[in-house]
Amino acid sequence: MADYKAASLATRPKTLDPAEYFNLSPEYRRAEEKRAALRAQLKRQYLQQLNNPHRKELIEDPALTRWTYARTNNNYFRPTAKTSLIGGLFGVLPLFVLYVVFKSDRDKRDAKIKAGTYERPYKLST
Amino acid sequence: MQLINQLKVSEHVIGACPLRRIGDSGPRMRAVECQRGKMAAFRAGLLTRALTKGKTPGISNIILGTRAASGPSKDTLPGPYPTTPEEMAAAAKKYNMTPEDYRPHPDDGMGYGDYPMLPERSQQDRDPWYQWDHPDLRRNWGEPMHWDFDMYIRNRVDTSPSPVDWRTMRNQLLGFMGFMLLMFGLGEMFPCYQPVAPKQYPYGNLYLERGGDPEKEPEAVKHYEI
Repeated sequence: MADYKAASLATRPKTLDPAEYFNLSPEYRRAEEKRAALRAQLKRQYLQQLNNPHRKELIEDPALTRWTYARTNNNYFRPTAKTSLIGGLFGVLPLFVLYVVFKSDRDKRDAKIKAGTYERPYKLST
Repeated sequence: MQLINQLKVSEHVIGACPLRRIGDSGPRMRAVECQRGKMAAFRAGLLTRALTKGKTPGISNIILGTRAASGPSKDTLPGPYPTTPEEMAAAAKKYNMTPEDYRPHPDDGMGYGDYPMLPERSQQDRDPWYQWDHPDLRRNWGEPMHWDFDMYIRNRVDTSPSPVDWRTMRNQLLGFMGFMLLMFGLGEMFPCYQPVAPKQYPYGNLYLERGGDPEKEPEAVKHYEI
């Protein structure tokens, strides 16, 4: 553990985090306790619904609903400088660039065929 | 009913009608006129909202000015970017997070709203021995989901620590790929193989078999040089 170097694209596991062993400040501990309390409440809600013998329907997860709603309805999209730049760069520019590239390549090949200098890469007949 | 609530919100003083015109009949418009005018304005507002905003309500919603009571209510769904501390606290409570942990995405118009910015860790990174509510997803019920949750599932992107550090991995990969590319390039430029010549056919390069005229005398083909 002493010479473990966290990779820049990966994370250090929580069990190797020195803060867990050396950080005994009350604020950190209180924050951890609050998080644990929240987790326990959610767990209790879930287990009550899960173990209810009269339950017939699916247990609905509001966090999943919120995630789905947020991902599918981009209500809060605003055209700003950054979003316009991204939209232009990935949506508008490729159209023109690809048109120019394909057209010029095609025109060169057509000119070569007309002049008779085009060598076909795959012979269809001997 | 939603309609009545929306109308009530718009007037703070009982009896004040926002549609008062200068020189109207008496100091107060008749309540019925006012109400009808407000309904018309409200419906016009709904119509414009339906035509301009992204998510359009159904045709019955536009006609009646209502929305269904089934499904999640508006306060449990993601909302706009929180500006005041009360909004931040309310959003943290909504997403089942502590107010210290809750941080919204920066408001740069990308469309996150008040959705929290969670640490970029894959599900593979989480404790495999804890009893999760959904063990394959390594997630508990009600826990806030990362925006890119479907990317961070265990079949896909993984941020867990690697046995060798990234620098070594990158150097090894680039070194190997570079070496192979170099060698293949050199092989293309300077090919070395057994010496070969084009295939030589007998009988005047198979003159008769290739459909040559039997009467005519083919030209002599010599495959050797002395």
